[in-house]
Parts: sequence; C-alpha cells; structure tokens
Amino acid sequence: MKKFLKIILQYYLKVITKIVLVVHNPVIIVVAGSTNKSFVRDEIKKILLEKEKNVRANPKNFNTEIGLPLAILNIESGYNSYRRWLPVIGSAFGAIFQKKFPEYLVLELGVSQKGDMKYLLSIVKPQIAIVTEITQRYIESFSGMNRLVGEYVYLVKKIKKDGLVILNWDNERVRSLKKYTKARVLYFGKDNLKCDGEIQEVKKVNNGMQVKMRYIDREKEVLIKRFGNHHATSTLIGWMVENELDNL
Amino acid sequence: MFERTKNLNLSVIKQMELRASKYPDVISLAQGVPNFDTPECIKRRVELALKRGMVAKYSLSPGISELRELIETKLSQENMFYDWEKEILITAGSIEGITATILALTNPGDEIIIPEPTYTSYREVIILAGCIPVFVPLDEANSWSFDLEKFKSAITPKTKAIFYCNPNNPTGTIYAKEQLMGLAQLAQQHDLYLISDEVYKDFLFDDKQKIFSLAEVPELRKRVIRLFSFSKSYAMTGWRVGYLHSDESVLKEILKIHDCLVTCAPVISQYAAMGALEMGDKDLIEMNDEYRQRRDLICWHLDELSHVFSYVRPESAYFVFPKILLDKIDYKDCEHADSLSWKFALWVLEEAKVAVVPGVAFGPNGEGHIRMSFGRSEKDINDAFRRLKKLFSHK
Repeated sequence: MKKFLKIILQYYLKVITKIVLVVHNPVIIVVAGSTNKSFVRDEIKKILLEKEKNVRANPKNFNTEIGLPLAILNIESGYNSYRRWLPVIGSAFGAIFQKKFPEYLVLELGVSQKGDMKYLLSIVKPQIAIVTEITQRYIESFSGMNRLVGEYVYLVKKIKKDGLVILNWDNERVRSLKKYTKARVLYFGKDNLKCDGEIQEVKKVNNGMQVKMRYIDREKEVLIKRFGNHHATSTLIGWMVENELDNL
Repeated sequence: MFERTKNLNLSVIKQMELRASKYPDVISLAQGVPNFDTPECIKRRVELALKRGMVAKYSLSPGISELRELIETKLSQENMFYDWEKEILITAGSIEGITATILALTNPGDEIIIPEPTYTSYREVIILAGCIPVFVPLDEANSWSFDLEKFKSAITPKTKAIFYCNPNNPTGTIYAKEQLMGLAQLAQQHDLYLISDEVYKDFLFDDKQKIFSLAEVPELRKRVIRLFSFSKSYAMTGWRVGYLHSDESVLKEILKIHDCLVTCAPVISQYAAMGALEMGDKDLIEMNDEYRQRRDLICWHLDELSHVFSYVRPESAYFVFPKILLDKIDYKDCEHADSLSWKFALWVLEEAKVAVVPGVAFGPNGEGHIRMSFGRSEKDINDAFRRLKKLFSHK
C-alpha cells in the first residue's frame, strides 16, 4: 500500500512540477557527478545571489525523484508521516500560482541507479549542465561502468544546441561526454592548453587557499576561506557560469 | 606474558553493568546508553542501502566520499573548515578514532595530560599506546572548570598532547572559550597536540546554541584533532560510527593506523550516519528536549536528597556527578575498601538494586562521587530515586 501511495505521490509531484516550470520558465542549471556536486551548486547559487538574482537551489539530499520536485516547488517533505504529506499535496498545487518564482534554479541531480537521470530529466529541461566527476560510486547498482556513464551521456544529450555543458577535463570519462552533445562544451581542469577554465595554482594558507585561475583570456587570484581542491574547482566553475549566463 | 595488557583495566562502567546484571530487578543508571531507538529516518536510509546491495564491500579506508562531503558541509555550518577528501576520517566509533590518534601522534613514554574526572577509557587507551596519563584535576568549586596553572605545572619535556572531552563526561561541563584558548596557548608554547572529544556537542540545554571548539581556530589546524561520534546524539551506540578531522599532515598519519585497525568503518553504519546528517535534525532536537527534561528531573530528585548528595548542575551530556556527603558506608567485603565511591556504589546496588558508577573510575579527583546517567527513561529515573530515597531515609 505504501509503495502504491508513493508512486501516486511521485507522479503527482512530477506533473505539478512540470506545469510550474512551463508557467514560470526559469533558467535551469544542473550539477551532476559522483562527488562535489553540492559545493558547485552552492557556489553557483552564491554568485547568482551576489548578482541579486532570484535563485533557488535544492537543499541537502533533495536530488531524487520526490526530493527534486519538492525542492523546485519549495515544499517541505512529509518524510514518513501520511498526515504530514496531506498539506504537501495542497501546497504543491498552490505552487503553480506562486508570484515570485525564482528566475534561476540550480539543481543537484542524484544518480544512484539505472534510469534515475531519465526520470529527473523528464521533470526538468536544463539549459546548462555541469558534470564534476565520474567514479565508481554507486557502481553496485549498475552492471558496469558503461551503464553508469550512460546516465551522464543521457544528460548531455538532452542539453539543446543553444545550451551549455561544462565538463571536467581531468576525468577521462567526463571528458569523453563531449561527443554525445550538440550543445557548446567548455572544459575546466588543470590543463593550460585544453581547458577553457583552468586552476593554475593553489596555495594553502592558514585560513584557506590562495587560488590563481584563468577563464579563456582572463585571470584572477582569490582567497577561498575553505580547504580542498574541490573548492578551487567550484569557484572556477562558478566564475565560468557567471560569464556564460549572458550568452544563453 | 601479556605485558601490554597487564596494566589495563576492564572499564569500571562495564564492571558495574556486569555486577548489576546479577540482580533481576536492577535499575541501571550506570552505562551511558540513550534509551531511545535509532530514529526511523536513519533506519530507512540503511534499508535503502541494503536493498541496493551497497553495504557488503569495504568502503575507501577514510570512509564513503558522500558521507565525508556531508560532514565537511556540516562542519562549515559550525565554523570549522576541513577538506573532506584529505582531512576527514570516518571511524568505528570515537574510541577507535581516539586509539588511532594516540597511536599516530605519540611514542612510548610520552605523556598525555587529561583533565579529570573524565571518561574512563582514555586512561586505558593511553596506557595501551605505551604512554603515561597525567591527570590534572578540574575545579569542582568552580563548576568543574580548568585551572590553567595546574595544566602548566603538569607539562614536562615528555608531554605530547592535552586530551579533553568537551562537553565533559561525567561532569556535564561545557568548557568556556577563554578556558580552551588558554589550553591552546599552552599547546602552542610547548608544541603540543590538542585532542578534543566532542561526542556530546549536540546536548545543549539552557538555551546554548553551540559549543565553541578549538577546531574553529585556523592557527590551530595542525595541532587540533577533533572527534565526534553518532552514538549519543542520534541513539546509535550499537552502530559504531564516528569521525575525526584535522589538518591533512596529521590526518594522513592517523589514517595509516586506522587502516591497520579496522580497514574502514562498518559500511552499513556509514549509511546510517548519512541518514542522520541528511534527515536526523528533527529527532536530534526532540531527543535533546527530552534529555533537558530528564536533567531537570534528576536534579530535582538530587535536591530532595541534599543530605546525601551535593552536585554541580550539568549543562550538557546525560550525566550528573554528585558528591557523596555521607562519610561512612557500612558495607563489608568490598574489595575496594579504601574507596568511598566504590563502597557507596556497591552498597546502593546491593541494598536498593540501583546501579551507578563509582566516581574514582573517572580519575582520582572523582573519588567521593558517583556518576548517574539520565539517558534512561523518566520512569526508570523516578523508580531508581524512589528506591534511593527509601534507602537514605534512615541516614
């Protein structure tokens, strides 16, 4: 019974979310990959907020078949309580008539089994897709790496010609996704010659990292008050997206 | 034979539980185990991982990357900034993390300063590592706070680290920022590590928003090793999962020991930990509220026994550490004849069938005290004190 109700709820939220997205037509930026998605998502959201854009990102683990619609509609989950799901159903319908729906959605897409990406992309049609890494994470749910990579192939194929795909040059599987998309492709990574966005130098200091980066022909140096190369990369990707938004 | 273990003791807490188990009607306020079950949201996360066949194999030795990413995000919300890839390690409970840390940082013969009274097992781990525990008494008259002069006096050329529990078990003290910064200054002056066990950091009574941690201070990154466990905050004592973090230069050494000891933390428990971080906030708040009420209840009962106990009201954790005001306990055949706290605990166990922990188990300064846990239900607490009040009515 519970499983049946979950399917009904899932379908209901999907339909409502699709209607909401048609009505409000936000720019959708999706972040996918085995690791570091949430850091990239947060960086892009931060940049858009600094530009005083109305933006919404999906929080924590709201990146799957029920979580993603809830995040887009900005509704709390009812978790395991039938009673708490009743107001959710009402609120979801009301979201169609939201006055100040965000102009940007920055969404982390979670892929843990075959078909996940297809389902998520039946709800959202992104204009920009970023793929951070592809590793063996969740390999147990796929019958081999090719099937796992296939989820990301599906994603980049779905980005239209006038959209944008940003890929990690340093990960061979991610890099190879270029051949599957008609959209414009930009690379980020450590290779000076091949990457459009490049991390040139990372120097650890007491309270973070001094990072030198380049995008096309522009260079900058920033102090990131965090630790870990993924923050340098996230900052670079954020810079790239910031520069490319006007081209959409 | 057994040179390494001959100076180790089975934890007094476990000894009391073993003794208590012989009494059919005993109420135990001894072992610090939450009486809650693990929250449903955590179990569901585990069920999903089980169903998808994700728990059978080893994880990477430092832990599942997704969990470490979650921890990095959680730490940053608490003003601590660490790289999930190189600076966060998932452990099989905090005690494994403590063991790996001490084995990595020290050489045999090194001294480790421990403010006491504090958790019983620290002494055993330090001795296991071939090191010497140096106890520095907390000041009961000042709510069990540090006396920095005593720490200064305890430092010798052999001192390698100061190891403390904040909030403290058994006293329930939250050490003030100024006190901790005083320790940090000593550590910098004498080139010491600071090992901070913060397993009770989510137990916040009395409107406190969060505790201060030395792991928040950027200049101390290479000195501080901070530990946390999911056991207490999320009622997961049986799952055996926690984490520690420090600068990568330190963490890579601890990782070598961790790999020897356990290979990786139990993968099923790592998924449980993910469930806790993703969805457990509401349960955390509810349990915390419940513990606050139990703290107030046990303190009320102790107030009613003010001729037997005096105590410092605990700010955190789920223990109270009352001082025994009775100076003579008529309890014969006690193998710890010189210890008032042992005699008292054994006498109360035998006469009232209530198990508590003798204070001397937590360090020399704990003598003359007992530890009571309010991790138990209100009913257990009330029933235990009904028996104690009956016992003490003749005193």
